Amino acid sequence: MNILETRGIYFDYKGLEVLFDISLQVEKGERHAVIGPNGAGKTTLFNVIIGGLIPSRGKVIFKEHDITHATPHELFRHGIGRSFQLTSTFARQTAFQNIRSVVLSRRGIRFNMWRRVDNLGDITNETDEILKKLNLFNERNFPASALSYGKNRSLEFGMAIASDPDLIMLDEPTAGMSRDETHDAVNLIRNLSEGKTMVIIEHDMDVVFSLADRITVLHHGEILATGAPEDIKNNQQVRDAYLGETEV
Amino acid sequence: MSGKLKLTIYWLIGLIIVIILPHVIGIVYTNVLVTFMMDAVFALSINLLLGFTGLLSFGHAMFFGIGAYAAALSLTHIQGFPLIGVIFISAISALLLACIVAPLLARVTGTAFAMLTLAFGQLLYVICLKFREITGGEDGIAGYDTPPIHLGFTNVDITDPTNFYYFAFVVLGLLAFFMWWLVKTPFGSVMISIRDNAQRVEYLGYRVKHSKALVLIISGTVTGIVGGVYALFHNLVSTDGVLTIFVSFYPLMGAYIGGIASFFGPIFGAGLLHVFDELTSRYTERVDLVNGLIFILVVMYAPYGAVGLWWSIKAWLFKSKLQKA
Repeated sequence: MNILETRGIYFDYKGLEVLFDISLQVEKGERHAVIGPNGAGKTTLFNVIIGGLIPSRGKVIFKEHDITHATPHELFRHGIGRSFQLTSTFARQTAFQNIRSVVLSRRGIRFNMWRRVDNLGDITNETDEILKKLNLFNERNFPASALSYGKNRSLEFGMAIASDPDLIMLDEPTAGMSRDETHDAVNLIRNLSEGKTMVIIEHDMDVVFSLADRITVLHHGEILATGAPEDIKNNQQVRDAYLGETEV
Repeated sequence: MSGKLKLTIYWLIGLIIVIILPHVIGIVYTNVLVTFMMDAVFALSINLLLGFTGLLSFGHAMFFGIGAYAAALSLTHIQGFPLIGVIFISAISALLLACIVAPLLARVTGTAFAMLTLAFGQLLYVICLKFREITGGEDGIAGYDTPPIHLGFTNVDITDPTNFYYFAFVVLGLLAFFMWWLVKTPFGSVMISIRDNAQRVEYLGYRVKHSKALVLIISGTVTGIVGGVYALFHNLVSTDGVLTIFVSFYPLMGAYIGGIASFFGPIFGAGLLHVFDELTSRYTERVDLVNGLIFILVVMYAPYGAVGLWWSIKAWLFKSKLQKA
Protein backbone atom coordinates (compact mmCIF):
# COMPACT_ATOMS: atom_id res chain seq x y z
CA MET A 1 0.00 0.00 0.00
CA ASN A 2 1.29 3.44 -0.87
CA ILE A 3 1.43 5.71 2.17
CA LEU A 4 2.84 8.69 0.27
CA GLU A 5 2.27 9.51 -3.33
CA THR A 6 2.97 12.46 -5.54
CA ARG A 7 0.80 12.64 -8.64
CA GLY A 8 2.19 14.49 -11.63
CA ILE A 9 3.99 17.26 -9.77
CA TYR A 10 5.14 20.25 -11.79
CA PHE A 11 6.88 23.15 -10.13
CA ASP A 12 8.46 26.34 -11.39
CA TYR A 13 10.26 29.21 -9.71
CA LYS A 14 8.75 32.23 -11.51
CA GLY A 15 8.96 30.58 -14.90
CA LEU A 16 12.10 28.53 -14.31
CA GLU A 17 10.76 25.00 -14.46
CA VAL A 18 12.33 22.76 -11.85
CA LEU A 19 10.12 19.67 -11.62
CA PHE A 20 8.40 17.87 -14.50
CA ASP A 21 5.69 15.35 -13.94
CA ILE A 22 7.07 13.78 -10.79
CA SER A 23 5.03 10.76 -9.74
CA LEU A 24 6.56 9.08 -6.75
CA GLN A 25 5.14 6.18 -4.74
CA VAL A 26 6.39 5.37 -1.28
CA GLU A 27 5.13 2.14 0.21
CA LYS A 28 4.37 1.70 3.88
CA GLY A 29 7.42 0.45 5.73
CA GLU A 30 10.01 1.19 3.08
CA ARG A 31 13.00 3.48 3.29
CA HIS A 32 12.99 5.48 0.14
CA ALA A 33 15.88 7.66 -0.95
CA VAL A 34 15.70 10.44 -3.49
CA ILE A 35 19.07 11.13 -5.08
CA GLY A 36 20.36 13.20 -7.91
CA PRO A 37 23.15 15.55 -8.87
CA ASN A 38 23.14 19.14 -7.66
CA GLY A 39 20.30 21.10 -9.18
CA ALA A 40 18.25 17.99 -9.96
CA GLY A 41 15.33 19.30 -7.89
CA LYS A 42 15.66 17.10 -4.79
CA THR A 43 15.18 19.82 -2.24
CA THR A 44 12.42 21.41 -4.27
CA LEU A 45 10.59 18.09 -4.34
CA PHE A 46 11.07 17.75 -0.58
CA ASN A 47 9.64 21.20 -0.05
CA VAL A 48 6.72 20.53 -2.36
CA ILE A 49 5.86 17.46 -0.30
CA ILE A 50 6.12 19.07 3.15
CA GLY A 51 7.94 22.40 2.97
CA GLY A 52 5.12 24.72 2.05
CA LEU A 53 5.85 24.99 -1.68
CA ILE A 54 2.68 24.69 -3.74
CA PRO A 55 3.17 22.83 -7.06
CA SER A 56 1.84 24.49 -10.21
CA ARG A 57 0.22 21.17 -11.15
CA GLY A 58 -0.24 17.85 -9.40
CA LYS A 59 -1.08 16.58 -5.94
CA VAL A 60 0.60 15.17 -2.87
CA ILE A 61 -1.36 12.38 -1.21
CA PHE A 62 -0.56 11.03 2.26
CA LYS A 63 -2.66 8.24 3.80
CA GLU A 64 -5.36 9.07 1.26
CA HIS A 65 -5.46 12.72 2.35
CA ASP A 66 -4.60 15.48 -0.07
CA ILE A 67 -1.79 17.33 1.73
CA THR A 68 -0.77 19.57 -1.16
CA HIS A 69 -1.93 22.64 0.73
CA ALA A 70 -1.51 21.39 4.29
CA THR A 71 0.15 23.68 6.85
CA PRO A 72 3.14 22.46 8.87
CA HIS A 73 1.13 21.74 12.02
CA GLU A 74 -1.43 19.80 9.98
CA LEU A 75 1.37 17.70 8.49
CA PHE A 76 2.56 16.87 12.00
CA ARG A 77 -0.93 15.92 13.07
CA HIS A 78 -1.31 13.70 9.99
CA GLY A 79 1.74 11.85 11.28
CA ILE A 80 4.73 13.28 9.42
CA GLY A 81 7.98 14.07 11.23
CA ARG A 82 10.71 15.96 9.46
CA SER A 83 14.29 17.04 9.90
CA PHE A 84 15.90 20.13 8.47
CA GLN A 85 18.99 20.33 6.30
CA LEU A 86 20.28 23.23 8.39
CA THR A 87 20.06 22.13 12.00
CA SER A 88 16.92 23.63 13.43
CA THR A 89 16.86 22.74 17.11
CA PHE A 90 15.95 25.10 19.95
CA ALA A 91 19.47 26.36 20.59
CA ARG A 92 18.87 27.86 24.03
CA GLN A 93 16.98 24.85 25.39
CA THR A 94 18.46 21.62 26.67
CA ALA A 95 18.45 18.42 24.65
CA PHE A 96 15.79 17.17 27.04
CA GLN A 97 13.56 20.20 26.51
CA ASN A 98 13.99 19.92 22.76
CA ILE A 99 12.68 16.37 22.67
CA ARG A 100 10.06 17.06 25.32
CA SER A 101 8.40 19.68 23.15
CA VAL A 102 7.76 16.96 20.56
CA VAL A 103 6.45 14.49 23.13
CA LEU A 104 4.10 17.11 24.57
CA SER A 105 2.72 17.92 21.16
CA ARG A 106 2.14 14.29 20.26
CA ARG A 107 0.17 13.88 23.48
CA GLY A 108 -1.85 16.95 22.55
CA ILE A 109 -0.62 18.93 25.55
CA ARG A 110 -0.34 22.30 23.86
CA PHE A 111 -2.30 24.82 25.88
CA ASN A 112 -2.00 23.39 29.39
CA MET A 113 -1.53 26.21 31.91
CA TRP A 114 -2.41 24.51 35.15
CA ARG A 115 0.35 21.97 35.61
CA ARG A 116 4.06 22.43 35.89
CA VAL A 117 5.70 20.88 32.89
CA ASP A 118 8.55 19.48 35.01
CA ASN A 119 6.04 17.55 37.12
CA LEU A 120 4.56 15.57 34.23
CA GLY A 121 6.24 12.29 35.14
CA ASP A 122 5.32 10.13 32.17
CA ILE A 123 6.30 12.88 29.73
CA THR A 124 9.70 13.06 31.43
CA ASN A 125 10.10 9.28 31.29
CA GLU A 126 9.13 9.04 27.65
CA THR A 127 11.51 11.88 26.75
CA ASP A 128 14.36 10.21 28.64
CA GLU A 129 13.69 6.92 26.82
CA ILE A 130 13.99 8.69 23.48
CA LEU A 131 17.18 10.45 24.59
CA LYS A 132 18.69 7.07 25.51
CA LYS A 133 17.86 5.66 22.09
CA LEU A 134 19.54 8.67 20.50
CA ASN A 135 22.65 8.25 22.70
CA LEU A 136 21.97 11.73 24.03
CA PHE A 137 21.12 10.86 27.61
CA ASN A 138 24.50 12.00 28.91
CA GLU A 139 23.95 15.34 27.22
CA ARG A 140 20.40 15.56 28.58
CA ASN A 141 20.86 18.88 30.36
CA PHE A 142 23.16 20.58 27.87
CA PRO A 143 21.68 23.36 25.77
CA ALA A 144 21.57 22.39 22.12
CA SER A 145 23.98 25.21 21.32
CA ALA A 146 26.62 23.51 23.50
CA LEU A 147 26.37 20.13 21.71
CA SER A 148 28.88 19.03 19.09
CA TYR A 149 27.73 19.23 15.49
CA GLY A 150 27.18 15.49 15.29
CA LYS A 151 25.17 15.40 18.53
CA ASN A 152 23.12 18.33 17.36
CA ARG A 153 22.32 16.45 14.16
CA SER A 154 21.25 13.46 16.27
CA LEU A 155 18.97 15.78 18.18
CA GLU A 156 17.62 17.14 14.91
CA PHE A 157 16.89 13.57 13.78
CA GLY A 158 15.44 12.81 17.21
CA MET A 159 12.93 15.62 16.89
CA ALA A 160 11.79 14.13 13.59
CA ILE A 161 11.12 10.72 15.12
CA ALA A 162 10.16 11.57 18.72
CA SER A 163 6.50 11.83 17.79
CA ASP A 164 6.59 8.24 16.47
CA PRO A 165 5.41 9.46 13.05
CA ASP A 166 3.99 7.31 10.25
CA LEU A 167 6.36 8.97 7.82
CA ILE A 168 9.84 10.33 8.51
CA MET A 169 11.15 12.93 6.10
CA LEU A 170 14.89 13.54 6.27
CA ASP A 171 16.56 16.34 4.35
CA GLU A 172 20.27 15.49 3.97
CA PRO A 173 20.68 14.14 7.51
CA THR A 174 24.46 13.79 7.22
CA ALA A 175 25.17 17.13 5.54
CA GLY A 176 28.37 18.68 6.85
CA MET A 177 29.42 15.66 8.91
CA SER A 178 32.85 14.10 9.10
CA ARG A 179 33.34 10.48 7.93
CA ASP A 180 33.09 9.10 11.48
CA GLU A 181 30.10 11.20 12.34
CA THR A 182 28.39 10.10 9.14
CA HIS A 183 29.04 6.47 9.98
CA ASP A 184 27.47 6.88 13.46
CA ALA A 185 24.57 8.87 12.09
CA VAL A 186 23.77 6.22 9.47
CA ASN A 187 23.78 3.49 12.12
CA LEU A 188 21.54 5.56 14.36
CA ILE A 189 19.09 6.31 11.56
CA ARG A 190 19.08 2.68 10.42
CA ASN A 191 18.35 1.38 13.92
CA LEU A 192 15.67 3.89 14.76
CA SER A 193 13.88 3.78 11.45
CA GLU A 194 13.54 -0.03 11.50
CA GLY A 195 10.11 -0.92 10.12
CA LYS A 196 9.17 2.71 9.55
CA THR A 197 8.39 4.57 6.40
CA MET A 198 11.08 7.06 5.58
CA VAL A 199 11.90 9.37 2.72
CA ILE A 200 15.44 10.63 2.65
CA ILE A 201 17.00 13.25 0.41
CA GLU A 202 20.73 12.73 0.23
CA HIS A 203 23.66 13.02 -2.10
CA ASP A 204 26.20 11.00 -0.14
CA MET A 205 26.13 7.68 -2.02
CA ASP A 206 27.42 5.57 0.87
CA VAL A 207 24.61 6.85 3.03
CA VAL A 208 21.99 6.18 0.41
CA PHE A 209 23.10 2.65 -0.41
CA SER A 210 23.43 1.63 3.22
CA LEU A 211 20.03 3.02 4.23
CA ALA A 212 17.57 2.79 1.38
CA ASP A 213 15.31 -0.09 0.34
CA ARG A 214 14.34 1.75 -2.80
CA ILE A 215 15.89 4.65 -4.65
CA THR A 216 14.49 7.27 -6.97
CA VAL A 217 16.96 9.12 -9.16
CA LEU A 218 16.13 12.67 -10.17
CA HIS A 219 17.86 14.30 -13.09
CA HIS A 220 17.06 17.75 -14.47
CA GLY A 221 13.75 17.72 -12.65
CA GLU A 222 12.57 14.38 -14.00
CA ILE A 223 12.53 10.89 -12.60
CA LEU A 224 15.26 8.93 -14.34
CA ALA A 225 14.73 5.62 -12.59
CA THR A 226 13.16 4.03 -9.52
CA GLY A 227 14.16 0.71 -8.06
CA ALA A 228 16.13 -1.34 -5.58
CA PRO A 229 19.71 -0.18 -4.84
CA GLU A 230 21.20 -3.01 -6.96
CA ASP A 231 19.09 -2.11 -9.99
CA ILE A 232 19.98 1.53 -9.65
CA LYS A 233 23.67 0.72 -9.43
CA ASN A 234 23.46 -1.28 -12.66
CA ASN A 235 21.21 1.11 -14.54
CA GLN A 236 23.19 2.46 -17.46
CA GLN A 237 21.18 5.67 -17.75
CA VAL A 238 21.79 6.46 -14.10
CA ARG A 239 25.48 5.71 -14.44
CA ASP A 240 25.74 8.08 -17.36
CA ALA A 241 23.83 10.82 -15.67
CA TYR A 242 25.17 10.65 -12.22
CA LEU A 243 26.98 7.71 -10.78
CA GLY A 244 29.65 7.70 -13.42
CA GLU A 245 30.90 10.97 -12.05
CA THR A 246 31.37 9.66 -8.55
CA GLU A 247 32.69 6.13 -9.11
CA VAL A 248 30.60 3.85 -6.93
CA MET B 1 13.39 18.65 53.61
CA SER B 2 15.64 21.24 55.24
CA GLY B 3 15.88 23.04 51.90
CA LYS B 4 12.12 23.37 51.85
CA LEU B 5 12.11 24.62 55.44
CA LYS B 6 14.77 27.17 54.60
CA LEU B 7 12.73 28.40 51.67
CA THR B 8 9.61 28.73 53.83
CA ILE B 9 11.57 30.74 56.38
CA TYR B 10 12.90 33.05 53.66
CA TRP B 11 9.41 33.57 52.34
CA LEU B 12 8.11 34.32 55.83
CA ILE B 13 10.89 36.84 56.48
CA GLY B 14 10.15 38.46 53.10
CA LEU B 15 6.46 38.65 53.93
CA ILE B 16 7.14 40.25 57.32
CA ILE B 17 9.37 42.85 55.66
CA VAL B 18 6.65 43.59 53.12
CA ILE B 19 4.10 44.03 55.92
CA ILE B 20 6.13 46.32 58.19
CA LEU B 21 7.89 48.26 55.42
CA PRO B 22 5.29 51.06 54.99
CA HIS B 23 5.40 51.77 58.73
CA VAL B 24 9.16 52.19 58.57
CA ILE B 25 9.68 54.21 55.40
CA GLY B 26 6.81 56.69 55.64
CA ILE B 27 4.01 57.71 53.27
CA VAL B 28 6.09 59.18 50.45
CA TYR B 29 8.21 56.10 49.96
CA THR B 30 5.22 53.82 50.45
CA ASN B 31 3.68 55.52 47.43
CA VAL B 32 6.94 55.12 45.53
CA LEU B 33 6.81 51.43 46.38
CA VAL B 34 3.28 51.14 44.98
CA THR B 35 4.41 52.81 41.76
CA PHE B 36 7.36 50.46 41.64
CA MET B 37 5.10 47.41 42.05
CA MET B 38 2.85 48.59 39.23
CA ASP B 39 5.82 49.18 36.94
CA ALA B 40 7.31 45.83 37.90
CA VAL B 41 4.18 43.84 37.03
CA PHE B 42 3.69 45.91 33.87
CA ALA B 43 7.30 45.08 32.92
CA LEU B 44 6.71 41.39 33.71
CA SER B 45 3.67 41.28 31.44
CA ILE B 46 5.64 42.95 28.64
CA ASN B 47 8.45 40.47 29.21
CA LEU B 48 6.02 37.59 28.84
CA LEU B 49 5.93 38.67 25.20
CA LEU B 50 9.46 40.01 24.83
CA GLY B 51 11.66 37.64 26.80
CA PHE B 52 9.55 34.49 26.62
CA THR B 53 7.84 34.66 23.24
CA GLY B 54 10.27 36.91 21.38
CA LEU B 55 7.72 39.61 20.53
CA LEU B 56 8.55 43.27 21.15
CA SER B 57 5.45 45.31 21.92
CA PHE B 58 5.65 49.09 21.65
CA GLY B 59 1.97 49.58 22.34
CA HIS B 60 1.23 48.02 25.68
CA ALA B 61 -0.03 51.39 26.90
CA MET B 62 -3.26 50.58 25.05
CA PHE B 63 -4.02 47.74 27.46
CA PHE B 64 -2.86 49.76 30.45
CA GLY B 65 -4.89 52.75 29.30
CA ILE B 66 -8.08 50.87 28.52
CA GLY B 67 -7.93 49.17 31.92
CA ALA B 68 -7.43 52.51 33.64
CA TYR B 69 -10.21 54.21 31.67
CA ALA B 70 -12.62 51.34 32.26
CA ALA B 71 -11.97 51.64 36.00
CA ALA B 72 -12.29 55.43 36.06
CA LEU B 73 -15.41 55.48 33.89
CA SER B 74 -17.26 52.85 35.86
CA LEU B 75 -16.35 54.52 39.16
CA THR B 76 -17.55 57.87 37.80
CA HIS B 77 -20.81 56.69 36.30
CA ILE B 78 -21.94 53.80 38.50
CA GLN B 79 -22.90 54.59 42.08
CA GLY B 80 -21.33 52.30 44.65
CA PHE B 81 -19.25 50.34 42.13
CA PRO B 82 -17.34 47.77 44.19
CA LEU B 83 -13.58 47.35 44.23
CA ILE B 84 -13.67 43.80 42.90
CA GLY B 85 -15.74 45.15 40.01
CA VAL B 86 -12.99 47.63 39.19
CA ILE B 87 -10.44 44.86 38.89
CA PHE B 88 -12.87 42.77 36.89
CA ILE B 89 -13.84 45.49 34.42
CA SER B 90 -10.21 46.50 33.87
CA ALA B 91 -9.39 42.90 33.06
CA ILE B 92 -12.39 42.42 30.78
CA SER B 93 -11.86 45.64 28.83
CA ALA B 94 -8.19 44.84 28.20
CA LEU B 95 -9.11 41.25 27.34
CA LEU B 96 -11.63 42.43 24.75
CA LEU B 97 -9.16 44.87 23.23
CA ALA B 98 -6.52 42.12 23.10
CA CYS B 99 -9.01 39.77 21.42
CA ILE B 100 -9.66 42.42 18.76
CA VAL B 101 -6.00 43.15 17.96
CA ALA B 102 -4.58 39.64 18.55
CA PRO B 103 -5.75 38.02 15.28
CA LEU B 104 -3.87 40.68 13.34
CA LEU B 105 -0.82 40.89 15.56
CA ALA B 106 -0.37 37.12 15.78
CA ARG B 107 0.33 36.98 12.05
CA VAL B 108 3.47 39.07 12.25
CA THR B 109 6.77 39.00 14.11
CA GLY B 110 9.83 41.15 14.64
CA THR B 111 9.75 44.75 13.47
CA ALA B 112 6.31 44.39 11.95
CA PHE B 113 4.92 43.29 15.30
CA ALA B 114 6.57 46.21 17.09
CA MET B 115 5.29 48.72 14.53
CA LEU B 116 1.75 47.32 14.49
CA THR B 117 1.48 47.41 18.28
CA LEU B 118 2.80 50.97 18.16
CA ALA B 119 0.17 51.86 15.56
CA PHE B 120 -2.68 50.36 17.57
CA GLY B 121 -1.43 52.05 20.72
CA GLN B 122 -1.23 55.45 19.07
CA LEU B 123 -4.62 54.91 17.45
CA LEU B 124 -6.23 54.37 20.83
CA TYR B 125 -4.36 57.37 22.19
CA VAL B 126 -5.77 59.64 19.48
CA ILE B 127 -9.27 58.22 19.80
CA CYS B 128 -9.28 58.87 23.54
CA LEU B 129 -7.84 62.33 23.01
CA LYS B 130 -10.64 63.23 20.59
CA PHE B 131 -13.60 61.69 22.42
CA ARG B 132 -13.57 64.41 25.05
CA GLU B 133 -17.17 63.82 26.16
CA ILE B 134 -16.31 60.34 27.36
CA THR B 135 -12.63 60.43 28.24
CA GLY B 136 -12.13 64.07 29.18
CA GLY B 137 -9.34 64.34 26.61
CA GLU B 138 -6.12 65.78 27.96
CA ASP B 139 -7.74 66.76 31.25
CA GLY B 140 -8.85 63.20 31.81
CA ILE B 141 -11.24 61.86 34.39
CA ALA B 142 -10.69 62.73 38.01
CA GLY B 143 -12.39 63.03 41.33
CA TYR B 144 -14.21 59.69 41.38
CA ASP B 145 -14.59 57.87 44.68
CA THR B 146 -12.29 55.03 45.56
CA PRO B 147 -14.38 52.18 46.93
CA PRO B 148 -13.31 50.43 50.14
CA ILE B 149 -12.54 46.73 50.47
CA HIS B 150 -15.57 44.90 51.88
CA LEU B 151 -14.38 42.30 54.32
CA GLY B 152 -17.83 41.38 55.64
CA PHE B 153 -17.38 42.56 59.20
CA THR B 154 -15.53 45.74 58.31
CA ASN B 155 -14.58 47.99 55.41
CA VAL B 156 -10.94 48.83 54.70
CA ASP B 157 -10.43 52.32 53.33
CA ILE B 158 -7.79 52.12 50.62
CA THR B 159 -7.43 55.89 50.26
CA ASP B 160 -5.07 55.42 53.19
CA PRO B 161 -1.63 54.94 51.57
CA THR B 162 -0.62 52.05 53.81
CA ASN B 163 -3.84 50.16 53.13
CA PHE B 164 -3.52 50.87 49.43
CA TYR B 165 -0.02 49.46 49.54
CA TYR B 166 -1.32 46.19 51.01
CA PHE B 167 -4.13 46.07 48.48
CA ALA B 168 -1.75 46.70 45.58
CA PHE B 169 0.69 44.14 46.91
CA VAL B 170 -1.97 41.42 47.00
CA VAL B 171 -3.40 42.15 43.53
CA LEU B 172 -0.06 42.71 41.80
CA GLY B 173 1.58 39.89 43.71
CA LEU B 174 -1.09 37.48 42.51
CA LEU B 175 -0.58 38.66 38.92
CA ALA B 176 3.18 38.19 39.21
CA PHE B 177 2.67 34.73 40.68
CA PHE B 178 0.29 33.81 37.87
CA MET B 179 2.84 34.82 35.23
CA TRP B 180 5.64 33.03 37.06
CA TRP B 181 3.49 29.91 37.10
CA LEU B 182 2.57 30.31 33.45
CA VAL B 183 6.12 30.14 32.15
CA LYS B 184 6.63 26.85 34.02
CA THR B 185 3.64 25.12 32.40
CA PRO B 186 3.64 23.23 29.11
CA PHE B 187 2.19 26.35 27.50
CA GLY B 188 5.12 28.33 28.88
CA SER B 189 7.54 25.92 27.22
CA VAL B 190 5.73 26.44 23.91
CA MET B 191 6.18 30.20 24.33
CA ILE B 192 9.91 29.76 24.82
CA SER B 193 10.14 27.47 21.79
CA ILE B 194 8.34 30.03 19.64
CA ARG B 195 10.91 32.59 20.73
CA ASP B 196 13.76 30.24 19.79
CA ASN B 197 12.47 28.81 16.52
CA ALA B 198 8.90 29.46 15.43
CA GLN B 199 9.18 27.46 12.21
CA ARG B 200 10.23 24.33 14.05
CA VAL B 201 7.40 24.76 16.53
CA GLU B 202 4.93 24.82 13.65
CA TYR B 203 6.42 21.56 12.32
CA LEU B 204 5.98 20.01 15.75
CA GLY B 205 2.24 20.34 15.46
CA TYR B 206 1.69 23.54 17.41
CA ARG B 207 -0.31 26.36 15.91
CA VAL B 208 2.11 29.21 16.43
CA LYS B 209 -0.41 31.94 15.59
CA HIS B 210 -2.92 30.70 18.14
CA SER B 211 -0.28 30.42 20.83
CA LYS B 212 1.04 33.90 20.12
CA ALA B 213 -2.45 35.35 20.21
CA LEU B 214 -3.07 33.70 23.55
CA VAL B 215 0.14 35.07 25.05
CA LEU B 216 -0.82 38.51 23.81
CA ILE B 217 -4.27 38.21 25.36
CA ILE B 218 -2.87 37.07 28.70
CA SER B 219 -0.21 39.77 28.72
CA GLY B 220 -2.72 42.43 27.72
CA THR B 221 -5.22 41.38 30.37
CA VAL B 222 -2.60 41.50 33.11
CA THR B 223 -1.52 44.95 31.94
CA GLY B 224 -5.16 46.05 31.96
CA ILE B 225 -5.52 45.06 35.62
CA VAL B 226 -2.38 47.04 36.44
CA GLY B 227 -4.08 49.97 34.68
CA GLY B 228 -7.10 49.52 36.95
CA VAL B 229 -4.86 49.65 40.02
CA TYR B 230 -3.26 52.79 38.59
CA ALA B 231 -6.68 54.43 38.24
CA LEU B 232 -7.46 53.64 41.88
CA PHE B 233 -4.08 54.88 43.04
CA HIS B 234 -3.89 58.20 41.20
CA ASN B 235 -7.57 59.06 41.16
CA LEU B 236 -6.85 60.66 37.79
CA VAL B 237 -6.83 59.02 34.37
CA SER B 238 -5.78 61.12 31.39
CA THR B 239 -4.50 60.29 27.91
CA ASP B 240 -1.07 61.68 28.76
CA GLY B 241 -0.92 59.65 31.94
CA VAL B 242 -1.94 56.25 30.62
CA LEU B 243 -1.84 56.10 26.82
CA THR B 244 1.25 57.85 25.49
CA ILE B 245 4.18 56.02 23.99
CA PHE B 246 6.17 56.67 27.16
CA VAL B 247 3.74 54.57 29.15
CA SER B 248 4.65 51.65 26.88
CA PHE B 249 8.28 52.50 26.86
CA TYR B 250 9.03 52.91 30.55
CA PRO B 251 8.30 49.29 31.59
CA LEU B 252 10.01 48.12 28.42
CA MET B 253 13.12 49.94 29.59
CA GLY B 254 12.69 48.35 33.00
CA ALA B 255 12.54 44.91 31.42
CA TYR B 256 15.69 45.53 29.36
CA ILE B 257 17.67 47.05 32.22
CA GLY B 258 16.74 44.24 34.58
CA GLY B 259 17.24 41.53 31.99
CA ILE B 260 14.75 39.99 29.61
CA ALA B 261 16.29 36.55 29.77
CA SER B 262 15.11 35.82 33.30
CA PHE B 263 11.66 35.95 34.79
CA PHE B 264 12.55 38.22 37.71
CA GLY B 265 14.81 40.55 35.71
CA PRO B 266 12.04 43.05 34.88
CA ILE B 267 11.11 43.41 38.57
CA PHE B 268 14.71 44.18 39.33
CA GLY B 269 14.90 46.56 36.36
CA ALA B 270 11.78 48.46 37.42
CA GLY B 271 13.35 48.86 40.86
CA LEU B 272 16.63 50.09 39.39
CA LEU B 273 14.78 52.63 37.25
CA HIS B 274 13.06 54.00 40.34
CA VAL B 275 16.36 54.24 42.18
CA PHE B 276 17.92 56.05 39.19
CA ASP B 277 14.93 58.40 39.04
CA GLU B 278 15.21 59.13 42.72
CA LEU B 279 18.94 59.82 42.56
CA THR B 280 19.09 61.84 39.34
CA SER B 281 16.11 64.00 40.26
CA ARG B 282 18.11 65.31 43.20
CA TYR B 283 20.65 66.85 40.86
CA THR B 284 18.90 67.54 37.60
CA GLU B 285 15.48 67.74 35.97
CA ARG B 286 16.68 65.78 32.96
CA VAL B 287 15.76 62.39 34.38
CA ASP B 288 14.69 61.02 30.99
CA LEU B 289 18.04 61.94 29.48
CA VAL B 290 19.87 59.95 32.15
CA ASN B 291 17.46 57.03 31.78
CA GLY B 292 17.96 57.08 28.04
CA LEU B 293 21.73 56.99 28.42
CA ILE B 294 21.52 54.09 30.84
CA PHE B 295 19.23 52.27 28.41
CA ILE B 296 21.70 52.76 25.55
CA LEU B 297 24.56 51.50 27.71
CA VAL B 298 22.57 48.43 28.72
CA VAL B 299 21.63 47.58 25.14
CA MET B 300 25.23 48.01 23.99
CA TYR B 301 27.18 46.42 26.80
CA ALA B 302 24.78 44.24 28.79
CA PRO B 303 22.13 42.92 26.39
CA TYR B 304 20.80 40.61 29.09
CA GLY B 305 20.52 43.44 31.60
CA ALA B 306 21.50 43.48 35.23
CA VAL B 307 20.63 39.82 35.71
CA GLY B 308 22.71 38.87 32.69
CA LEU B 309 25.59 40.89 34.11
CA TRP B 310 25.24 39.02 37.39
CA TRP B 311 25.29 35.70 35.53
CA SER B 312 28.51 36.63 33.72
CA ILE B 313 30.14 37.69 37.00
CA LYS B 314 29.10 34.40 38.58
CA ALA B 315 30.44 32.44 35.62
CA TRP B 316 33.69 34.40 35.78
CA LEU B 317 34.10 33.77 39.52
CA PHE B 318 33.36 30.09 39.03
CA LYS B 319 35.96 29.90 36.27
CA SER B 320 38.70 31.60 38.29
CA LYS B 321 37.90 29.31 41.21
CA LEU B 322 38.33 26.29 38.93
CA GLN B 323 41.64 27.59 37.67
CA LYS B 324 42.95 28.05 41.20
CA ALA B 325 41.93 24.56 42.26
